[in-house]
Amino acid sequence: MKKMTPLYSMLLVLILLLSACGPARTPTAPAPAVTIVVVTATPAPEPKKLEIFHWWTAGGEREAADAMFKAFKDKMPDVEIVENPVAGGGGVSHRVVLQARLSAGLPPDTWQTLGGAELKSYVDGGYLEPLDDLWAELNYAAVIPGPLAKAVTINGHPYVVPLNMHIQNILYYNKALFDELGLQPPATYDELIAVAKAIKEARPEMSPLALGTKEKWEAAFVFDSILLEVGGPEHYVKVYKGEVDVKNDPAYKEALQKLEALIPYIYPYHAGLTWDESCGLVVAGDAAMVLMGTWAIGYFQSRGWTPGKEFSAVTFPQKPERILLFHPDTYGLAKGAPHPKTTIEWLKVVASPELQIPTDVTQGGLFARIDIDPANFPDPIRRELQTYVRNNPDKLILDQHGSIAPFSFTQAYWDVIAAFIAQPNVDGTLSSVADLLTTYNVKAEAAWYQWP
Amino acid sequence: MRIRGLSTQLIVLLVTLVLTGVYVLPIYVMVMTSLKTPVEISQRAYLIPTRNLQFQNYAEAFRLIYPSLINSSIISFAVTLLAVFFGGLGGYYLSRSRSPFVRVLFILVGVALYLPYQVILIPLVQLMAKTRLALTYAGLIVSYLILNVPLASVLMGTFFLSIPRELEEAAQVDGANRLQLFFRVVSPISLPAYASTAIIVFTQVWNEFLLALTLSTPATTTIQVKLAEVKGSFVALYNIQMASALIGVLIPLSFFLFLGRYFIRGVLAGALKG
Amino acid sequence: MNRKPRRTFRQRLFTVLESLPFLAPLLIFLAILYGMLAWTLYVSMANWVGTAPNYEFVGLKWYQMMFRLDRFRVDMTNNVKWLSLGVLPTVALALFLAYMLEIGSVKRIEGYVRTLILYPVAMSFVVTGTIWSWMYQPDKGVLNTILRAIGLTELIGRYTTNPATATYWLILIFIWQYLGFAVIILQSSFRTTELQEMVEAAIVDGASKLRILFSVIVPNIRGGILILISLLLISALKVFDIVYVVTFGGPGYSTDVLALFMFIATFQQHLVALGAGLGMIIFLMALVIVIPYTIYAFRKWFE
Repeated sequence: MKKMTPLYSMLLVLILLLSACGPARTPTAPAPAVTIVVVTATPAPEPKKLEIFHWWTAGGEREAADAMFKAFKDKMPDVEIVENPVAGGGGVSHRVVLQARLSAGLPPDTWQTLGGAELKSYVDGGYLEPLDDLWAELNYAAVIPGPLAKAVTINGHPYVVPLNMHIQNILYYNKALFDELGLQPPATYDELIAVAKAIKEARPEMSPLALGTKEKWEAAFVFDSILLEVGGPEHYVKVYKGEVDVKNDPAYKEALQKLEALIPYIYPYHAGLTWDESCGLVVAGDAAMVLMGTWAIGYFQSRGWTPGKEFSAVTFPQKPERILLFHPDTYGLAKGAPHPKTTIEWLKVVASPELQIPTDVTQGGLFARIDIDPANFPDPIRRELQTYVRNNPDKLILDQHGSIAPFSFTQAYWDVIAAFIAQPNVDGTLSSVADLLTTYNVKAEAAWYQWP
Repeated sequence: MRIRGLSTQLIVLLVTLVLTGVYVLPIYVMVMTSLKTPVEISQRAYLIPTRNLQFQNYAEAFRLIYPSLINSSIISFAVTLLAVFFGGLGGYYLSRSRSPFVRVLFILVGVALYLPYQVILIPLVQLMAKTRLALTYAGLIVSYLILNVPLASVLMGTFFLSIPRELEEAAQVDGANRLQLFFRVVSPISLPAYASTAIIVFTQVWNEFLLALTLSTPATTTIQVKLAEVKGSFVALYNIQMASALIGVLIPLSFFLFLGRYFIRGVLAGALKG
Repeated sequence: MNRKPRRTFRQRLFTVLESLPFLAPLLIFLAILYGMLAWTLYVSMANWVGTAPNYEFVGLKWYQMMFRLDRFRVDMTNNVKWLSLGVLPTVALALFLAYMLEIGSVKRIEGYVRTLILYPVAMSFVVTGTIWSWMYQPDKGVLNTILRAIGLTELIGRYTTNPATATYWLILIFIWQYLGFAVIILQSSFRTTELQEMVEAAIVDGASKLRILFSVIVPNIRGGILILISLLLISALKVFDIVYVVTFGGPGYSTDVLALFMFIATFQQHLVALGAGLGMIIFLMALVIVIPYTIYAFRKWFE
């Protein structure tokens, strides 16, 4: 008996150990099914399921995601949608989860990704199926702007279906204030400085231009607009393709100097604010203008501001020509997706006006399809933008988020530009940027991007 | 040990006042924010109470975080129980054996406590995927156990060191084996140690964000992940986020209060006399 | 314990079997942990860039690149600031508070103060971090609003928006967050019978309060202080959430720390090998800190 007890106790511990792993088999966790499907060979009848990752989690975006899924349910009522919404500005946390899951061989069927460099990193990793057949079937290249198609085409194959376009270079302004001071929205850098001066004189306690650089990319937005005007669109593309010797480039230097001259008119404590808080400065009357993407429209509306009434917007700059810096939200088909057939059906819906109209109107971007009537937008800002894109589809260039340059460079670049706005040093920044361009091998990594 | 005196009393009073200021202020801002509308939050008048109290924010927050509170509770309590159990076993062995093997093991455990867990995030996820545990409660529970069992072992072991051997020797004479000794003699008098270790492990697991973010699905989303999510990325509902956090803190706080009286008599009490 | 001096094979087997239930779980978890560490070490010398694993061996390539980066130098400097300024003031403050609570307080005050300073431990830092970023806002933030209201305008600061001082303000949050934890640890090491008796004796001898603290208490709670210092050093070394939520490393990357850079390199820049290398650097620094503590603990443990 005495000798039996330790063995018996060991058994007990073993049982305990096993029961520690027990919850995997309880019905409360529906996910194991997904895991198993990944590992086993594709079973004959595909379960009516779609696992999808996205980052639209709260507020207007949640409603946009719901609109998206409603459009899909209308077509495929018996499919169960397993969504995994991961919050975080512009998908920061989302990418953490995806990277861990993908490298572990646990892909969802489809996930939200921006076009450009982010998409390329998934394609390079071999995680996405090319969608040439689907695009041909839908004739999708014919109904979206050329630059948008190019932004999601890697090595000659389209890999995702874009459902919208966000525009980066939009200047929002307090309309009542501009009317009161008799100001016109600026179309060039010089006009911006003039307007800022006028505001500063009339309202000394107010910052003419709001900015929040906590997440860093916001800083690059402001610089991009200046660079776009100083060097023109071809030069802009060349800079981010690594084809410009930044250290000795007069245009890049001039753009930096102009940014430095703008700093006195920028909200001084930008390092502590996120982009939404910076838009909040405009709503609260602490600032008069803010340079932000189309998604800010939704923010202003959530704070009770009506487009065209309390605030209005222009793209900036409008000289030498009116270029829109953009990035799309897109969905693709994972290699080894558990439910590939359902996913293809989903992508067809993503490409359709039935999904794009309710989703994009709610979420804040423009329609990817330019055959959709711009009048579907309730606000004058996006009606005008969509009409412009419809008539000038070639005036689009990939922005910071869509990113011509690889992500390794872009992230570090944002830091440098944000640091410049906090403590300007033109020569130091020039050599830092030149350094980053070589360190991260931008010239080779960005060669895939073609514009015009 | 009590030393009474006017000057001491004054210092105590003063320090208590300063601490109250420093620690109540953030909570005050939090409560105020949770009762405001998004528009009022944009005004950034953090200290000024709103006249139009939005108590429905709490209803909204509760509706949103309720499932994740359940998930977090399941995961945290399971990990705490198991980690304390395994930690007790391991710690007891560490504290009683003197073999060279245990000396090496002690060093390995000691070093493991200080692994920055970001270092093992990617391999951990790969491991979870290979064992098909990812995306389940079990996956999160096992991951947290890997990170917390060494810690629990050291904490428990430190306490066991302080227990006089005479008790065990007496029981051993009566013919009890090691496991019986551990469960019948040592564990019952170590409840305070179990309680403090439980609090430390529970806090770590409850507040963990990165792993939970990576390994959870909508069905297993934990409260920390949900808290990051309820704010949204494009509308910034800080009021809902603050209300959620205030609701969410109730569970660890009541757990603390429940076990708190043990905490002060904690692990380090007897073991480290100098 | 009191086995016969000559052990038979059966008896040895019996000891192994007997120790198995005690050791098995710990051994399994440790093995996994060290396996993953080895994996990370290997990845730091592989050429993994992008989302797909790439285990091609490239030696120290990524370490060389890391040492060239200005950001890495900033991180090292900041981590040293965290290690020194995050730990010593916390220990000093906690010692003072714990002593004060022991000798001078009424029971109710003690409970109140302990609850007060412990709640940051229970609260999600995603949320308290947001609050602190509001506290620090220079124009309309909580602190400056209060300073303006009570007329101390010369104290108004730029806090985390000034690259030169931002890290110090972040460290202050760390102290705020860990103070309660530190007090608890020290208080529990006060509570030994021997120490209580020694203090009583010192009081009878008429020793001053400061003298009791430094000549009686501190020498007798060296162990508790050492544990506290190591725990704080490691938390300060691994610091991530405070920086992530309050400044995200900004302005520019002036408040960046190794753990944050590691996160960004791995998941934002997709330079997984570089991220793994940064992780190894953090681990090496942790080892340097842990070694003295481990030696001490080892001696105490096996004395």
